[in-house]
Amino acid sequence: MNPVIRSLGEFVRGAGFALVLLVVLLAVNLMLNPARFHPAAWGTLIGLAAPLIGAAVASAPVILAGRGGIDISVGPLMGFVNAIVIQALFLQAGISSPLVLVPAALLIGAVVGAANGFMATVLRIQPIVATLGTYLILAGVTLTILPAPVGPAPAWLKAMAGPYSILPLGAIFLLWWLVRRTPYYDQLMAVGSDDRAAYTAGVPVTKVRFIAYVMTGVLAGIAGLMLTALIGSADPNIGPTYTLIAIAAVSLGGVSLAGGKGGLVGAAIGAIAIFLLQSLLTAFNVSTYVLQVAYGAILVAAVVLTALQDRHALRGVSR
Amino acid sequence: MAEAASLQARDVSLKPGRAAIAETIRAGEIVGLAGLDGHGQETFLKAMAGLETPASGKIMLGVEGNGRPITSLAKAASTGIAYLPRDRRSTGIFPTQSILDNFAISTVGRDMRFGLISKAERRKRYETYREKLSIVAPHPNAPITALSGGNQQKVLLARALALEPKFLLLNDPTRGVDVATRHVLYDVFRGLAADGMALVILSSEIEEILVLCHRVLVFREHEVAARFSGEGMTTDAVIAGMFGRAA
Repeated sequence: MNPVIRSLGEFVRGAGFALVLLVVLLAVNLMLNPARFHPAAWGTLIGLAAPLIGAAVASAPVILAGRGGIDISVGPLMGFVNAIVIQALFLQAGISSPLVLVPAALLIGAVVGAANGFMATVLRIQPIVATLGTYLILAGVTLTILPAPVGPAPAWLKAMAGPYSILPLGAIFLLWWLVRRTPYYDQLMAVGSDDRAAYTAGVPVTKVRFIAYVMTGVLAGIAGLMLTALIGSADPNIGPTYTLIAIAAVSLGGVSLAGGKGGLVGAAIGAIAIFLLQSLLTAFNVSTYVLQVAYGAILVAAVVLTALQDRHALRGVSR
Repeated sequence: MAEAASLQARDVSLKPGRAAIAETIRAGEIVGLAGLDGHGQETFLKAMAGLETPASGKIMLGVEGNGRPITSLAKAASTGIAYLPRDRRSTGIFPTQSILDNFAISTVGRDMRFGLISKAERRKRYETYREKLSIVAPHPNAPITALSGGNQQKVLLARALALEPKFLLLNDPTRGVDVATRHVLYDVFRGLAADGMALVILSSEIEEILVLCHRVLVFREHEVAARFSGEGMTTDAVIAGMFGRAA
């Protein structure tokens, strides 16, 4: 069999339910709302979906690293980056150059990721507790430096939510494509799959997990920039709302919360599926409360279906 | 010619107060470790792999009287010691990963082309070991769980051999492996020793040690209770050693 077709087949099986859902939702959206999905509007459309895709992709590395790895501070970190970039750097210090703002966002992400990684891998605090602490600290600090929404954002940044919205996402996936071709990726997946086996095979488990947290932080920094681009201002309350929906997107996209299974592309597909669902229900003027119910129902259905699929696959093997 | 390096246990006590073990493993020999479960043979093997620190004494690698201490698994691996774990289900295979990934994990940095990993290079490396060990497997991208226990064990052995070690430490390598595969593995082990590799094999089956090993250390209560080699290596002698009786 052609290796391209084979890896495509594996990929479809991995992302499974989310991909089917994505195609169906896309078709329905196209039928009901052709104007919104017209090629001319793609830039804006991708810009609308970008923060959620970014948040989902950012949540993935620590989950892949296994043993309960999770970072619930991704959302508040996005909000914190949003506040620092607009309030502290752009409005107060008057810096508008992307050459300063982008590295600053990445650096903030890396530092927060390293702090989470230190707590979760060196001090060995349970990841959900460690990052809950970071969640609360970041949300509080953000509200302190930015009690109410302010604007605007630099023009170049706003363009990242319009015609150039594909750029930051493209950069993320190029980066991930490179990571997949380094020894680190194999070690990450091995650690996520079985950390004791990885240790006996000579993999530096703690180091690999720590780097996963830093990677999550950096990706959350990029997601924070995409959020800033979309809202074109700074808002202390939006960031934290992304955390849980991002984790829903990740598990919808076939990334196992047990670790070692899935990837960033799956997470992105999960996020796009959720975005399309959102956009469909909004088109029907459904209330946001019902939207929440729909998220939950889809997520439960996806997790159950994935589990059934896995059990089926496993049975096929043992026979 | 310089003397070939050996793996030495210097006054190694496996538990405080137990008699120290002095042992030298030389190139080309197959040494068996026997004993009732939990009598120290596994601790001894893991200490040599750098996975456990003995109560006292040192593991050294090098020519007699001048060697480097082995204090960690990373140090052991970088100096040519490979370890095959015992329980392949819990500390061996990566169930969510492919055969190829399972094979390559200890040597991930070796397939680099222009700073990135080349899958083709890795496939080539895997193919040589697949032939050498006659691994019966579907496509290398298939999940490792698609293989039989014996073939999974061969992939793990290939993983260890890919390190190109001078010393191979095997922790009960044929546990849960079918008879046909066992004989393939025995031939492989003998071939490796003939090529100058030193093998230390911990086995729960005395028969296996008798057919495979040049000499055997019998452990009892965290001490080496008896050593046998050549003619003196018989089932009765080993069993007597295991139970602490004079043969």
